Amino acid sequence: MSWFTNLFAKHSRNIHLGLIVIFSAGFIAAPAAVMPPVRQVIVSVFHFPFAHLKSSIAELRDEAAENDRLRRLLTQSSMTIAMYEEAVRENVRLRSVLGFEPPPGYELLPAEVISLAGDFTPIYAVIDKGASDSVLVDQPVINQQGLIGRVSSVSQDYATIQLLTDPSNRVAARLARSREVGIVKFTSSRGMILDNLPVQGTVAPGDTVLSSGLGGVYPPGLKVGTVVEVRRPDLEPFCEITIDPAVNFYSIDEIFILKTGAR
Amino acid sequence: MIRVIPFLLYLWLAAAHQVFLGDITSIAGAVINLPALLVLLVSLYKSELDTCWFAFFIGMVAYIGYGDATGWYILLMAAIGFGTYHVRVRINLESVYSRLVVVFIGVLVHNAVVMATAGGDGSFAILLVRVLSGAVYTSVVAWLFFLVKEGKITYQKLRAIF
Repeated sequence: MSWFTNLFAKHSRNIHLGLIVIFSAGFIAAPAAVMPPVRQVIVSVFHFPFAHLKSSIAELRDEAAENDRLRRLLTQSSMTIAMYEEAVRENVRLRSVLGFEPPPGYELLPAEVISLAGDFTPIYAVIDKGASDSVLVDQPVINQQGLIGRVSSVSQDYATIQLLTDPSNRVAARLARSREVGIVKFTSSRGMILDNLPVQGTVAPGDTVLSSGLGGVYPPGLKVGTVVEVRRPDLEPFCEITIDPAVNFYSIDEIFILKTGAR
Repeated sequence: MIRVIPFLLYLWLAAAHQVFLGDITSIAGAVINLPALLVLLVSLYKSELDTCWFAFFIGMVAYIGYGDATGWYILLMAAIGFGTYHVRVRINLESVYSRLVVVFIGVLVHNAVVMATAGGDGSFAILLVRVLSGAVYTSVVAWLFFLVKEGKITYQKLRAIF
């Protein structure tokens, strides 16, 4: 045994080099027999971890791209949903307007409010119809809820509406039940009130207030509001009547101008 | 056993290069020949038997997918390591540039043989450009390695620049 050890020690270099050549020759001479098991070991030990890492990185990159795509899609979808919701709201409003009949002798000119002006309460509204649509000053403006105001000025494509909430605006009004007449006006301290109604009148909360047609600007029968409070102060000739306006002046959107051309 | 660990790490580095590092680091078709570079570097700093066995194993790792030609490529790698080792022990390779010349010639020979046998159906000019560009690129990497090993590029010097 020692002679073998001595021989190995003496020719160690040549034996190692010979083994390398023999192993290489094995790959060259019989690749079908040698390669499969060696390849399996080499691939599983050395190549597979990096191949797995590479595919994981590629998957992460794909996930990031997919994530980005989905974010954009979500943003677009949110915008689309917001548009649809607005369309639904508009649809509801327009359905309520359908079948809305103007007073006799008038025709309706639909318009959209572009802007509202006023410090605390809107008192003016700008609409998208003007002289080119035959809009004239003093034409009444209504919506499906009731009387809104009158056209106060007109330009070519726009017009300004003086709302009932403008303290300088006055409407000749009549109580629907008792037919008593008065003047509706708006004050900053008490809101919308019905003035000039004698204390002897039979006005009561819940009475509907309509335009009377007196004064010539507003046609009769347009709803102005509902009586919510009646006070009869001593030593005063007129009642103090507070009205809940028929129109919500903070959210007017689609309106109608009453054109007198068909009269 | 501990002395085997660096060689195992080199083998894994070569495998990583085969799988994806080669693609990432290639510039305009020029690819670093990392298996040959590792064999040449080992042959410049390690013993003859270490070089030959390492060349044998790295040949297996790098060329196991080359079918019947695998054995020849393993033998070629071992031969380049063996030859470079004997050049190193016979010629004075103290300077960085002399080692760089040895690395360049070794990679050029390896690239030429591999490209000539497995380079596909490209024309001779294209193969020549790929062989040369690969050898130059690999030599640049070797040059950086030598500069780091000689202490001419250090972390402190790099920090001083910035």
